Amino acid sequence: MTQEHQGESRGWSAARKGVWSRLRFTSLRLRLVVVFGLVALTAAVSASGIAYWLNREAVLTRAQDAVLRGFEQEMQNRAGALPEHPTQDELQHTAGQMANSSQRFTVLLVAENPEGRTVYGSSGGLNGFSLRDVPASLREAVTERQKITSNNKYAYHLYWQRIVDGDTPYLVAGTRLIGGGPTGYMLKSLEPEAKDLNSLAWSLGIATGLALIGSALLAQALATTVLKPVQRLGTAARRLGEGKLDTRLRVSGTDELADLSRTFNRAAEALEKRVADMAARDEASRRFVADMSHELRTPLTAITAVTEVLEEELEFEGGGIDPMIEPAVRLVVSETRRLNDLVENLMEVTRFDAGTARLVLDDVDVADQITACIDARAWLDAVELDAERGIHARIDPRRLDVILANLIGNALKHGGSPVRVSVRECPRGVGGAEGTEGPGAVVIEVRDHGPGIPEDVLPHVFDRFYKASASRPRSEGSGLGLSIALENAHIHGGEITAANSPDGGAVFTLRLPRDVSALTERDAEAEDTRGDGESPSGGTGGTRGEGAEGDA
Amino acid sequence: MGQNEPVPSLLLIEDDDAIRTALELSLTRQGHRVATAASGEDGLKLLREQRPDLIVLDVMLPGIDGFEVCRRIRRTDQLPIILLTARSDDIDVVVGLESGADDYVVKPVQGRVLDARIRAVLRRGERESSDSATFGSLVIDRAAMTVTKNGEDLQLTPTELRLLLELSRRPGQALSRQQLLRLVWEHDYLGDSRLVDACVQRLRAKVEDVPSSPTLIRTVRGVGYRLDPPQ
Repeated sequence: MTQEHQGESRGWSAARKGVWSRLRFTSLRLRLVVVFGLVALTAAVSASGIAYWLNREAVLTRAQDAVLRGFEQEMQNRAGALPEHPTQDELQHTAGQMANSSQRFTVLLVAENPEGRTVYGSSGGLNGFSLRDVPASLREAVTERQKITSNNKYAYHLYWQRIVDGDTPYLVAGTRLIGGGPTGYMLKSLEPEAKDLNSLAWSLGIATGLALIGSALLAQALATTVLKPVQRLGTAARRLGEGKLDTRLRVSGTDELADLSRTFNRAAEALEKRVADMAARDEASRRFVADMSHELRTPLTAITAVTEVLEEELEFEGGGIDPMIEPAVRLVVSETRRLNDLVENLMEVTRFDAGTARLVLDDVDVADQITACIDARAWLDAVELDAERGIHARIDPRRLDVILANLIGNALKHGGSPVRVSVRECPRGVGGAEGTEGPGAVVIEVRDHGPGIPEDVLPHVFDRFYKASASRPRSEGSGLGLSIALENAHIHGGEITAANSPDGGAVFTLRLPRDVSALTERDAEAEDTRGDGESPSGGTGGTRGEGAEGDA
Repeated sequence: MGQNEPVPSLLLIEDDDAIRTALELSLTRQGHRVATAASGEDGLKLLREQRPDLIVLDVMLPGIDGFEVCRRIRRTDQLPIILLTARSDDIDVVVGLESGADDYVVKPVQGRVLDARIRAVLRRGERESSDSATFGSLVIDRAAMTVTKNGEDLQLTPTELRLLLELSRRPGQALSRQQLLRLVWEHDYLGDSRLVDACVQRLRAKVEDVPSSPTLIRTVRGVGYRLDPPQ
């Protein structure tokens, strides 16, 4: 139970890991882009910020200095020429003159007239510049009389301030003539400068945006160059996992990724060598089995011939053999037969393993073949055959006989009679849905009435030397029969499946393609491309035979 | 086999002592006269001296192998040859049949199977009391068991002759390989169809004008073979 739990949680954490690694993979790219973007943003914003600020100060100061110098000049030249207590008209006139100077500012003059009343002279008309527009702090600073010290030679100074009215920035300045006279204020719109600065800000903003985009693209490109080798490594690792052991990476450069590629290549090489070693060892042991069963044949042939003589002696009326020895002779005879079968089956298996098994095709009537197979083994009483004559197939009759004999024999041995064999045609190919077009398949079903096959044994019924029950270590068969039957079906491009019938009993279903010529023609082409005199595609049997004509 | 018929004599060529002894024992008990040789060279010498009715020939022999022995015998003699092959590997069987063998058995061979094959092969040479048949330039004299082409005697092995006889008995009718195996080789239902194919090749080489484009013994696709009277 706990183990199951562990397995489950391991599976879950593995799944989570998978998702996580995918996320991380994409976020590596994302992180690069973000970091690059931030760096570019900081650099661009600070650079353009500083540039803007410096520009702004330079532009404003220059404009302001020129305006203030002009104002100061005008105050001295024009307002200084006024009497100490000018009249309203005089003030107004002077203000107008001052405003007509090159700097185009609006002027407001404030003085006391001879009657002691405060009079105003403004250049902007009634709606224009009034004292209300001048900030109080500025007015105070302008009108405040300062002590004259060594550092400060004048009692009054020129003061200025920038204000914003509506959306328009203005420069306001004011001063008082030393030695009595009007107080002058001036107002100058800074709109042209503000416009210039605005367009500068726009340009800098656009430049910052472009830098951001550029940095993102750069980050993307960098991520690709870094991640591409990683991706290649991933692909190569997957190919390696799929069994393509000759996968190697091209090593270029001397960076860490090249180092990783080299390591990968070394690992793949070691793996390939190891697999090759194992395959060689496997091949050697396979060859050993083949050679051994081959070597066993020679003594077996001699033994078989002699035991037959002994057997005939047993059957001979009036017995030439001592009754005391008779059981021994019978044992030798039957065990020799068993040994023969075993060696025969071993040879068959090694032929399949070595891939040297070949089909000898012939056109047969499937029902006739089954009848003949049953008849030859004296199973007619135990087998019910449900097959119509006329189902023809182009197959290897000897191999079909081996399959049938093993399936029916197995059913009789484990299932008990009656064994029911049914044949039907299947228009689809053997592969079912993915089916090959063409003549379709023959389906032969062998059903017994025994207890069926236990579920845990079912997946192993075709295994070599698999015994259904440990308490029955020695069955009559060689333990290779069903495995050989399956191999024989496979070499035809067919399949055998084992299942339990819902009505009880085991069902073995054999599916064979009706024409295997296509399979063998490929083989035949590979090993023998000699032409056929009469029929260009006579199958293996025909092709081989016909092909010999040239030599005959 | 009739009582008064002479006991057939066999020549067994097999290099392995145990097999040779055992098969000699078994075949002798089945009623054959058996001469043995341990190598191909000895076998060919014995063949000339003793003129046996049939040869049982092991494929794997030291010196000249069974296929070569078979080819050398076929150059001069048409007596039946049964191959003993250690493998049923196809290449062995095909090479053996192409070199002129009439039949083969796979080791470990059962004496009874070998005996049955021997008797079947020997029966092929038995005479029939029947007339003759003509197919173009080919004349088959069933009574004399001879075949002539353009008036010349053809040297056919008993198997080739029997195959031709079976085909000529049903002219124009296709016979399947399995049918021919039963009729000629007396094999059970699992006969090896390559025997038929190989024998047809050899027969065509002897009876056809152009063996690569046969006009007498035609292949019937998907069925077998047919002997046609030429148009």
